[in-house]
Amino acid sequence: MKVIACYSMKGGVGKTATAVNLAYWAAKSGLKTLLIDLDPQGASSFYFRIKPSSKKWAKRFFNAYENLVKHIKASDFENLDIIPAHLSFRNFDTLLAGFKKRKNRLKRVLKGFNKEYDLVILDCPPSISYLSESIFIASNLVLVPVIPTPLSERTFEQLMAFFEENDYPQNKIVPFFSMVQGQKSLHKATMEAMSARYKMFLNTTIPYSSDIEKMGVHKAPVDVFAKSQQANYAYIKLWKEVSETERKCG
Amino acid sequence: MNSLPENTWELNEVARNTDILSEISSEFDIEANPGTTSNLQFYDDFDSHLWKANYLLCQVNKQQFQLIDPSGCMGEVGASSGARFWWEFSGNQVKDKLQSLVGLRAVLPIASINLLETDFSLRNDDQKIVVRGRLTQTMVGNKIGLYLTLQALRGYTKYYTRAAQLLRPFIKAEINHFGLRFLLMGQNIQALEPKQSTLLSLTEDMRTEQAVRAMATAMFDQTKLYVGGVIADTDTEFLHQFRVNVRKLRSLISLLKQALPTSMLDTLKPRLSSIACKTNKLRDLDVFILAQDSYRAMLPANFESGLNELYRLIEKQRKQEKDKLARYLSSTEYKNDVTACAAELSQSSAFQTPMASKPVLQAVKKLLLKRYHKMLAMGAAINSQSADEKIHELRIEFKKLRYLIEFFVDLLPKKRTGKIVSEIKKIQTVLGDYNDYCIQIEFLNSYIDDTRIEMSKALSGLIAILYQKKTEERPKVEVALTDFFTENMAIEFDLVFGAAEPGDSK
Repeated sequence: MKVIACYSMKGGVGKTATAVNLAYWAAKSGLKTLLIDLDPQGASSFYFRIKPSSKKWAKRFFNAYENLVKHIKASDFENLDIIPAHLSFRNFDTLLAGFKKRKNRLKRVLKGFNKEYDLVILDCPPSISYLSESIFIASNLVLVPVIPTPLSERTFEQLMAFFEENDYPQNKIVPFFSMVQGQKSLHKATMEAMSARYKMFLNTTIPYSSDIEKMGVHKAPVDVFAKSQQANYAYIKLWKEVSETERKCG
Repeated sequence: MNSLPENTWELNEVARNTDILSEISSEFDIEANPGTTSNLQFYDDFDSHLWKANYLLCQVNKQQFQLIDPSGCMGEVGASSGARFWWEFSGNQVKDKLQSLVGLRAVLPIASINLLETDFSLRNDDQKIVVRGRLTQTMVGNKIGLYLTLQALRGYTKYYTRAAQLLRPFIKAEINHFGLRFLLMGQNIQALEPKQSTLLSLTEDMRTEQAVRAMATAMFDQTKLYVGGVIADTDTEFLHQFRVNVRKLRSLISLLKQALPTSMLDTLKPRLSSIACKTNKLRDLDVFILAQDSYRAMLPANFESGLNELYRLIEKQRKQEKDKLARYLSSTEYKNDVTACAAELSQSSAFQTPMASKPVLQAVKKLLLKRYHKMLAMGAAINSQSADEKIHELRIEFKKLRYLIEFFVDLLPKKRTGKIVSEIKKIQTVLGDYNDYCIQIEFLNSYIDDTRIEMSKALSGLIAILYQKKTEERPKVEVALTDFFTENMAIEFDLVFGAAEPGDSK
């Protein structure tokens, strides 16, 4: 079982859209996939029309995988299950602070899914915290959407520095450009500069697209309602490249 | 993780798809796919090997078959409509599986099913799919079957329970293991009926003539089962099984002739011998054709044209021989012989000989010991100079000894008899291999023809190789005899079969 995190310290960069569409294509390619929505806003769950449980359960999240199992919901798509977010997940950091070996907690609970799933995709909240560190340890790849602007560049630099300072392997970080507007010269220039500086950027870019925004209206991955649109092809390409990268990383 | 509920129910005959779906629509939004129809034709061999091993071979269209394994997984395989043997299917995995399951048997259509399947999903108020389902309509002749399958989705089991509740008025019965196998079971397929003739169970104090008559009748009935397949030339196993059963019947009568009246022996022995004799040539040709690959592998490529000529000749002869045997098995001569044998077997026991009235176990044990001692002497007389004929005679004796044990195995001590039988099988393999070389050399020799130079060259090449193999095999015969006729085996025969009185052996 592999774990891929969709992560960014910055909000509104397309993390959730990436997590939802990648999970969809991974499942469609035949992998038994579990999408875990760690972001208390619950946008991933919303895109799959899944309501969170009415009871607060963040306290039990890191105790044992059996607690997570109870909250798994089938999506409308074959091979794809989801653990929906709950508002109480906003307290994850406080909870983790009370645990010993807190950074390994997530990895330990996810191990339980080894037999059931081929792939776990984590939709992460935008922060840098104990939870983020648990995510970095638990994941095989940390997929980072980067909007090609100076502010996003700065955020990405901060992430790289954080990995270095804390001795996390930087080769886990797999960035790609998101919400790209090809006609903007700023986007073009930033992409050129960042690709030259960070060789690990994926070739695939995700365009800025109203079809991606419409996921909220249709409550579904792009393929369901905009099959022949550019955004959909971009996610197909992204999934192919991510799965190849994951294979290469072993 | 816990498995999720999934159930199938048979629905009332009056239920219609539209009624069922409209009933659920009171609480769910339904999304039904257009129904898909399929006509499935199922295949199996005469012995129902696939069915017995929980496999199904199903033709889905003209050139496409599916082999469905016990877990329900399918292997798709291409084949022409007329495919009957494993080697006529494509796809190595399926081919290998078919070979291991049916061997040389032909697969033939045994049943067909027309299916109309309609998949549907139920959505809740959030427009989330919460239950999946399928309506299955089957048509066999004029009979229609209606089935509903509901599948719970993780995290939404309560909706599944509710949907099942709503549909309760349409339900006739719950089905435990729904699938193609279930649908076929409902058809009472004749081709899947057991092929073994029923034999009344023997008891150790049954009188010998009675027991032998009952067994002989069952064996005789068994031979009749294969006649149709031999005439139709469905596969080579029909003739093989026909011959095995005739051979066993002849052995039974010959081994226990002292318990049977002269009239029975006079009627059965010459007729069965004549029937068996008429099948010899075709079987020899079958064996040679079946071993074609190994014969071809024995010779270098420059013998190919000679071998091709030989196989063309053999195939031609086989066709003639097959037609000849089919004519014979359809003839009045054969039918009269069969009627005469059946009439004789159905007579009441005459008890004309002392052995006829003896308890069967006692008679069989005595016979087994007697035969063992006879074979011991025959075995002792074999040495490196002995003629092939002597080895052949001993091979036949071993075959009869094993038959005699196997005929009455239910009355004999299971474990110890089993060990003796396994030792007999070992020596039979060695003697059989040696005999096969002798027979093959003789068979090939009969085809040497000075006017067919290339063919005769190939034949000489094969004969030389087989002679070499035969020479290498020869010393193994003496080793096998020494290994079998040990002091321990003599003691074992005395202990297992020496207790001649009823009730002291088990």
